[in-house]
Amino acid sequence: MIKGLMDWIDDRSGIRGLVKEALYEKVPGGARWRYVWGSCLTFVFFTQVVTGTLLWMFYAPSAQTAWESVYFLQYHVAGGWFLRGVHHYMAQAMIVLLVLHLMQVVIDGAYKAPRELNFWFGVLMMGVTLALSLTGYLLPWDQKGYWATAVATNLMAEVPLIGPALQKIVVGGSEYGHHTLTRFFALHAGVLPASLVALVVAHIYLFRKHGIHVKEPRPKRDSYFWPDQVLKDAIACLAVLLAVVALTIYFRGAPLGPPADPSNEFPARPEWYFLFLFQLLKYVPAFWGAVIIPAFLGLWMFLTPFIGKSKGGHQFNVGFWWVLIAGSAALTGMAISEDQANLKHGAAIEEANWQAERVIKIADSEGIPPAGAVTLLRKDPQNQGRRLFAAHCASCHRYNGHDGRGFPVDEPQSAADLAGFASVEWITELLDYDHYVSEKYFGGTKFKDGTMARKVLAKYTEEEKKLLPEIAKLLADGAELPYEEKLDEDTREELLSLYYNDDLKFEDGRACIECHDIDSEDEGSAPDLTGYGSREWLIAFIENPEDKRFYGKKNDRMPCYGRDGKLKDEEIAILVDWIRSQPADF
Amino acid sequence: MSDSPKKEESKEDRRKFIVTSTIAASTACALFPLASGIPSVLDPATKETGNAEVPWTKVTNLATLPEDGTPTKFEVVLEKVKDAWTTYTNIPAGAVYLARNGEKVTAYNLKCPHLGCAIDYRKNSNDYFCPCHNSTFGLDGSVTTDNSPSPRGMDTMDTKVEDGVVWIRFQQFVPNIAEKVPV
Repeated sequence: MIKGLMDWIDDRSGIRGLVKEALYEKVPGGARWRYVWGSCLTFVFFTQVVTGTLLWMFYAPSAQTAWESVYFLQYHVAGGWFLRGVHHYMAQAMIVLLVLHLMQVVIDGAYKAPRELNFWFGVLMMGVTLALSLTGYLLPWDQKGYWATAVATNLMAEVPLIGPALQKIVVGGSEYGHHTLTRFFALHAGVLPASLVALVVAHIYLFRKHGIHVKEPRPKRDSYFWPDQVLKDAIACLAVLLAVVALTIYFRGAPLGPPADPSNEFPARPEWYFLFLFQLLKYVPAFWGAVIIPAFLGLWMFLTPFIGKSKGGHQFNVGFWWVLIAGSAALTGMAISEDQANLKHGAAIEEANWQAERVIKIADSEGIPPAGAVTLLRKDPQNQGRRLFAAHCASCHRYNGHDGRGFPVDEPQSAADLAGFASVEWITELLDYDHYVSEKYFGGTKFKDGTMARKVLAKYTEEEKKLLPEIAKLLADGAELPYEEKLDEDTREELLSLYYNDDLKFEDGRACIECHDIDSEDEGSAPDLTGYGSREWLIAFIENPEDKRFYGKKNDRMPCYGRDGKLKDEEIAILVDWIRSQPADF
Repeated sequence: MSDSPKKEESKEDRRKFIVTSTIAASTACALFPLASGIPSVLDPATKETGNAEVPWTKVTNLATLPEDGTPTKFEVVLEKVKDAWTTYTNIPAGAVYLARNGEKVTAYNLKCPHLGCAIDYRKNSNDYFCPCHNSTFGLDGSVTTDNSPSPRGMDTMDTKVEDGVVWIRFQQFVPNIAEKVPV
């Protein structure tokens, strides 16, 4: 019955003849591993078309839904991370295979007459594949894709005459937004794959027309494509498949950074296979990188078959391509090592990873508002607090030695490190003379030589020094930090008595109460420590450190953020909530 | 000179092995791309629905409903609606007819239990009518004709009146079956 059906179909389509023609192509010199790259590329492209179509079912291209839909697929759809991972790593495999295929063609001289046309088709297909990579990089609309693609499209404007218009057409306007995504998506899922399909058909047609270019000497007798070469091709495809699956599982799918935010800087880097171009742009003007070099390479590829015909031309071609690959590899290596040596770059990547984890955590628990996931980060004290600290405080203060986000700071530290501010540990260290005058506390301020340092802390006896951690406990209790436990009433009373120096344990002139008030109406000569480090105290302090409750006229350079309108009330509150939210890395 | 039968046989075995391995490897490669996305594509069908606790939603004040029991249409604004990744707050999620009977209120879903068209209330004949396939329903929501396209009466849902405010538990039901099953 099956045979009958097959006969019926064959009768009307001639399918058997087609299959026979496809499978029984002659392979002169027998099946060889060096012929597998074309089949591998076809397999990888097929995988990309299928997985890409499936991804299409989940993707929503707009500035408020692109990242969000990818996030949902990655974390809330069964196997979504795997599907996305396969598409992502297959794309990388495609680039590697393209280079291998190209080098095999160049080394074997398969680009020479009569195969020039097919060589040019191949080069064109490489261009389309790179365009697919570039457009796909933007679609998740995360920080990485957003900032890197901005660079790529800015380069487009370098094209003479039509550049600026071309850029607008591709970006869908002068700013990045909905139409950038709809256009990139249409290119990535429609225009470019369709062009590639057409080119693949032409490429395979021409390949069949001229047959395999045999690398001499022939190792074996001639054989047919089926089954020997097909087996080698299939094994190679299987190896690619396994490598991609391994990468996908190892990295738990493709990365997804924090949502694109034009107000939140991120160091733009392209995918690894574009790093050589990125590095090159550090040395040459954008016009060279965007126009002259690509145009030169395009022309060179066009000329390659003709150069190959001349005496020694083939050796020259092979040499040229090796130099090109070695140069690209060297530039890529330089780009990577420069980034690795750059502390700020490392910190920016860590910061982005932190933001990605953070926004996913919030989205998982609260859902995403229609305005998009980026608003979750903008309203989050944990994220905004550290950013405000970096922007407004970190030029003098530090947070665990950095700027709050993990970045090193260029300016020398000139005010206290506020990580763990007002905690028992922080105050205990502060009350130790050596720490007090160190850079971590008041070493960079005029208070280093003030009364407190010279006449009090420096003079404490060993006996008195032992009491200081108790004082620290009392002061930290007033801060009511969310990560420290409250003292019980009795202990607090006891410590207050010590603070007031009821039993005269501190020598005259060295008890805190003599300058700093606590829980009293009096006005001391130094900052009032009632509720020191509490939310209310810190907000009031940042608003106006020159208030008589705090430093008064003794204030040393600390700006009055609230009084002078440098920060809005809600920004000060976010900043304070963040500083008080977690202990320092002591 | 031809090969010995034994050699011939091993050559045949080798070829068989090659063909089998080739078919196996090729099939694996051909099926892999689709297989890698099957769990994701089928994901919606595997998610349990209809069991979630339905929250009470405020619709209107009892005083706005005519005392003679004439149905009035109201938009139902839900406090929180999740659509895939987006969480909407205070968003219209459907509509109901509310009919008053003394201090009690009955709520009918606007959607026809046949295939989900919006049902009209006809003032002239004082009944409900679906303009898509001509199902008619009495004021109590029941099917009024023998050969009605709708397999069941209009879908009611839980209601309560507290301090003069009408609350309902807004729900959708599986269309075109005789039983009323929450979606």
